[in-house]
Amino acid sequence: MSFAERVDAALHDPLLKTAIDRATGTAQAKRAAAIAAFPSFEPARRRAAAIKDHVIANLGAYLAAFEANAQAAGAAVHWARTADEACAIVIDICKKADAKRVARSKSMLGEEIGLPHALEAADITRVETDLAEHIIQLAHERPSHIIWPALHKTREQVADLFRASHRSPQNEDTIPAMAASARRQLREDMLSADVGISGANFLIADTGAVCTVTNEGNAELSLVPPRVHIVTAGIEKVVPSMRHATHLLRLLARSATGAALTQYTTFYAGPRRPGDREGPEEMHIVLVDNGRTRMRDEGLAEMLRCIRCGACMNHCVVFRQIGGHAYGGTYPGPMGAVLTPALDGLAGAKDLPNACTLNGKCREVCPVDIPLPTLLRGWREKSWREGLEPVTMRRGLGLWAWAAKRPALYRLGTRVAIAALRRFGRRGWIARLPLASGWTDGRDFPRPEAGSFMARYRKGER
Amino acid sequence: MSARDAILGKLGPARPIADLTAQADALIGHAERPLLDGDTIDLFLAQLDQPSIAATHDAVDTLGDLPAAVTRYLDANVGARALYLPPDPQLLDLDWQSVTTLHSCPVDDGAVLAIARAGVAETGSLIFETAPVAPMLPNFLALHHLVVLHRAHVVRWLEDALLPAGPQPRAHYWVTGVSGTTDIEGQYVRGAHGPRFLHVILVG
Ligand code: SF4
Repeated sequence: MSFAERVDAALHDPLLKTAIDRATGTAQAKRAAAIAAFPSFEPARRRAAAIKDHVIANLGAYLAAFEANAQAAGAAVHWARTADEACAIVIDICKKADAKRVARSKSMLGEEIGLPHALEAADITRVETDLAEHIIQLAHERPSHIIWPALHKTREQVADLFRASHRSPQNEDTIPAMAASARRQLREDMLSADVGISGANFLIADTGAVCTVTNEGNAELSLVPPRVHIVTAGIEKVVPSMRHATHLLRLLARSATGAALTQYTTFYAGPRRPGDREGPEEMHIVLVDNGRTRMRDEGLAEMLRCIRCGACMNHCVVFRQIGGHAYGGTYPGPMGAVLTPALDGLAGAKDLPNACTLNGKCREVCPVDIPLPTLLRGWREKSWREGLEPVTMRRGLGLWAWAAKRPALYRLGTRVAIAALRRFGRRGWIARLPLASGWTDGRDFPRPEAGSFMARYRKGER
Repeated sequence: MSARDAILGKLGPARPIADLTAQADALIGHAERPLLDGDTIDLFLAQLDQPSIAATHDAVDTLGDLPAAVTRYLDANVGARALYLPPDPQLLDLDWQSVTTLHSCPVDDGAVLAIARAGVAETGSLIFETAPVAPMLPNFLALHHLVVLHRAHVVRWLEDALLPAGPQPRAHYWVTGVSGTTDIEGQYVRGAHGPRFLHVILVG
């Protein structure tokens, strides 16, 4: 299916729209409340961006330090250039451990490298232990959101899935009864796993510890009982110290769910020690590049700041219309529209950077201040330069790119556009932006609230 | 070329980590924090009351009073006077006559007791470390998680509870409330995989 077809399908799915509205609406409200209680959030996120930039600029040094400290704690560290290499390493460790059953704690990197599929191909039973991932696994689908992978599923659909596959399913189709059914089912599966696999929210360079965060407690139940713990982590996850991790954790939880902190934040440093009654006998950490070094060198270094909080998609007018599956890649929403062309190639994903209104909302809410609209614009220009766009699109974009390179003119242009938007806007939505019809046809613009993002940006409110 | 050398090669020559430390320290400096006004203990207890944390609490003067407080909780909330105790002499040496102490942790019901190294007023977090006398799995398996916390170990900020760099416990974990999920239609359900109830007993 093409992007246009996927969007069409999504727009004609009435259940999907309701599901997205509910989840993202709640997420927006909770985030806003959390940030109101953190008045210095603006400088805090600029600091977070600076910390990440420092690490990305010195990534080799921090990775080497992390590796040495993780090894000193008894973990084995592996390196993988590509998704295939990473999967091969994981499967090899599983085979050496004679693993029949693997418990997985949700990790977007695992999805990115295709680990679920690789485990299946190797005949290893995979138990997804995050509730949403469990739902997705039963439905044979992919996540549609990086924080709420089953966001597109209604309670009725979940009830049917559980009734068809749980050993002792819920008696009544209430959400608490369904959650309890999953708890019963997964508990047994987790405690009998041979290997536990997780991602990492942070890798702490000066201790060699790996940090995971969950609200359910499924990571701990998946990673402590099995004989082997395997971590797959993107190389950009490293931070200098616990203090840096703490700062980022404060921003991550608030941006993702509006909580001050995730329920369970755990730091794992190596395998079982003498005298311990629990814990894995082996801990393996697979550091995965999969295009990250290239992104760093080719103009997407800022994207490596991303801490996978999901705020950009919760606040994106396009995501809220079409949901996550329409994006077609591992990562949806604005961050996905930047990452997917880098991970899967621009030719197949060139429509994604175009599915954006450039309203700047994603950057405003991003806890590490990633200039997502600028990065998307970069992809559009590249796509145009490489001749991937049809002629009409090329003409519209060429004009736009010409104006965008002249900031004063661009600002004037957007201010004019905003005045026009105010005039044409009905109930906060605008069907067409006259100045940029090349890529606004068929897309809705949110009505600008007070002055353009650029105007506020210049006033220093960023 | 190994994958390691290829990746590190692409990242270019690395500056010695010692050179970077000063820069990294300067970047974290006095990091921004959320608003926090009032007495540390009061704030900590208020955080425990938050719906997102939903922990109950009690207080005793000395560790010797702990068994009575635990019995009170079990009578009111669990029914059975039974409890899993970690193999920590600080706890084992107390007088547990009124309670049956279990040798293995109940899976999915019952209660477990653990000592927290610190409590954090900022977030209402409880901080634990693994050790031979302090396994972590029981604290995720039981339905009721009872936590002993010395009043003097309640700190204001997360940073106040961080361990210095250098050798770490096998795992340390920050528990901020009971297990929960919003994975089905965004509706909050308590007790997803971990404990459904969290009870803090302050000592001192
Ligand atoms: S791009 Fe920013 S807002 Fe989006 S997921 Fe990453 S960190 Fe969060």
